[in-house]
Amino acid sequence: MPDVVSRRNFLSLDFGRRYPAGDHWIRVHRMAMACRFEVALSDTGAAGIAAAREALDEADRIERLLTVFRDDSDVADLNRRASQEPVPVAAELFGLLARSRELHEQTRGAFDIASTPLSRSWGFMRREGRVPTTGELAEARACSGMGRVRLDPARGSLRFDRAGVELNFGAIGKGYALDRMAELLRSAGVSNALLSAGRSSIVAVGSDGHGWPVDLRPSLVRRRVGRAWMSDAALGVSGAGEQYFEVDGVRYGHVIDPRTGMPASGVLSASVLTRSGADADALSTAFLIGGSALASAYCAAHKGTQAILVLDDATERVEVFGHCPGVTLELLS
Amino acid sequence: MNLTPEQMAIGRRNFLKAIAGVPAVAALGTAAAIRGPARGGAVRVGFVGVGGQGRALLGRLDPVFADVRAMADINPVSLQRADDVLKKNKRPAAKHYVEWRDMLQHEDLEGVIVAVPLWAHADVVCGALDAGKHVLCEKMMAWDTAGYTRMIETARKNTRILEIGYQRNYNPVYRSAYEGVMRQGLLGDVHYVRLAWHRNGNWRRTGDPPSKDFDASKWGYPTWDHLWNWRLYWKYSQGLFAELGSHQVNAVNWFLGATPQHVQATGGIHRYNDGREVPDHVYAIFDYPGGVTGSFTSVESNAFDERYEAFYGTKGTLIIRNENDAMLFDEGAGAKATGVEVAPKGAGALLDASETKPANAGGTARPAATETPAKPNQPSPSTIEIARFCSAVRVGTPLLCGPENATHSAAWCIAANEALKSGAKVTIDPGFKTT
Repeated sequence: MPDVVSRRNFLSLDFGRRYPAGDHWIRVHRMAMACRFEVALSDTGAAGIAAAREALDEADRIERLLTVFRDDSDVADLNRRASQEPVPVAAELFGLLARSRELHEQTRGAFDIASTPLSRSWGFMRREGRVPTTGELAEARACSGMGRVRLDPARGSLRFDRAGVELNFGAIGKGYALDRMAELLRSAGVSNALLSAGRSSIVAVGSDGHGWPVDLRPSLVRRRVGRAWMSDAALGVSGAGEQYFEVDGVRYGHVIDPRTGMPASGVLSASVLTRSGADADALSTAFLIGGSALASAYCAAHKGTQAILVLDDATERVEVFGHCPGVTLELLS
Repeated sequence: MNLTPEQMAIGRRNFLKAIAGVPAVAALGTAAAIRGPARGGAVRVGFVGVGGQGRALLGRLDPVFADVRAMADINPVSLQRADDVLKKNKRPAAKHYVEWRDMLQHEDLEGVIVAVPLWAHADVVCGALDAGKHVLCEKMMAWDTAGYTRMIETARKNTRILEIGYQRNYNPVYRSAYEGVMRQGLLGDVHYVRLAWHRNGNWRRTGDPPSKDFDASKWGYPTWDHLWNWRLYWKYSQGLFAELGSHQVNAVNWFLGATPQHVQATGGIHRYNDGREVPDHVYAIFDYPGGVTGSFTSVESNAFDERYEAFYGTKGTLIIRNENDAMLFDEGAGAKATGVEVAPKGAGALLDASETKPANAGGTARPAATETPAKPNQPSPSTIEIARFCSAVRVGTPLLCGPENATHSAAWCIAANEALKSGAKVTIDPGFKTT
């Protein structure tokens, strides 16, 4: 509380240190992709509520495009037909498929949108985890993996090598939707917003002054890992913390290593900061699977990407690789 | 409110009261003009009426803006309790008066905050204005048309500030909804507004007089109950339309940029026939120009609906529930609800990032985090209301609910009670010229 009230206090209704920062956020939100999509605006941005709503409509549109939980989405149609014939794919979806393939290659197969049969064999598609038999696992592996997906850029079509192959954009779709929403908001003149889908995918538009403050608080880690001040950057977080099952004291997380067919282990939580929400989403899954070795190699080879891994050891060691422009990371020791 | 649990979940997050900032200091003056202490410092104020509402304002008032010098109340127990409020908030004691006129005469005050029973508003406010004080008066503005007309004329004659304390005007949720939804035209054409303030319980207060020989009759209350439960008697009160309805109608007038023209009403004492005079159930239908109809209902037998203002437009619906969350629903089959929340910026993060929760676990609303510092002290709408009044006194900050605005919700209420008593459709006439 100031000792002497100033003219500025009156003019600005500045409540001083008693109420830090002294203003508020407007959070516009809606359920989509089975989680809460949100556009947070700064207090001077109430006029952006209209644009925020249109951005949320975009999330709905992308859900309708990508979902495998409805029969009438483009992806459901692909999954039904692509093992029988090449299926033409609209440009937007083809672009996302192509980027998914690149990320698959750049992460040495750790990110894979064609690993659904593996997840299914572990019961995670129905949220009823169980250990598959050797036979079941072999069968699932036989129809899994980007290696069984043929993209034809010339024709803009896609074909699966065999029956049983399935695509699922669950590990990239939310981040992709946020990227599109951010694009819409920018073109509508909104220069400051923090977009989020669930807690795991976040995209910052502008900086809101000093950067949008986002805490890293993975659910399996018993403490806050740190805070990222984000300006025009994206964050993706993966972990097995909220979806797993245990058999004989062994924890099986819901993220399956597509290269082995086994649940990923060794990393409690992987967070990735980079420019694109889709990339941040995909890479966080890849690093949860590939661990420090993959994160380190990837960040060295791809400037502008930062990874924060919390390892599954006695001390829950935190490792950071790379750097992301626009992000100030404060780690707690 | 006919919402599914999923719909409710969208808008029903922990609402955090927040402050309304005037966006840019730069827009209001140059740096040089705002530097340095304000001449006069905090505004010297006195309270008239420190009953429940007066003490609520006293507790929420920010001493940076308002320096409470004195308090007047005919009930000595209220004054003692007001002392406790000041003590609890570590503020200096304020001088006591029984008669407000004595306080005005003996204290060097700039502003007076009035929270007395409705029937006394006009006398106290006009007395303070005539004594050269600026006045922040609790809602409703006045018991009758003559009262508020006199208040407006007296403020004009003395060129003093008169502000009427409708908290919704200072509430960031309402300001955001107005700026972001109403002014953007997101609702299309609004033809219906539904207002509800439903409670399940008795409005009557129980309480003993301050002493056995306490005599309320010299102030116009034949018994202690007439003073203590003044809201239940027509002489002092305008009932539920005033105490609850005028809040909501005042906000609707602001949102629509219009004032209601006619009103029909019904109601009665349907549950608590305990000697009270004002109804415990009231229902009003009223119209605005351009084919906009409003309804207000207030019952004391069921709280399912709680309280809300709902604006129904050709493109969407805006619902503000319990003064703390705003929800936006698009028109059309399959349209999803969009929630709008306002949360204070504090020292904490805007979001906690973690792996995605299972689908059925819902949102990202920030959980209570053990290691995060205590929530910032968030000013309530009342805090902002008083700060803004003081800013109006000191530097001419525009009022958010000046008397010209507040007369229209008062006129609505007075007409609604007339309609309720007569059964007729009543024309709402503010009864004064606004220029």
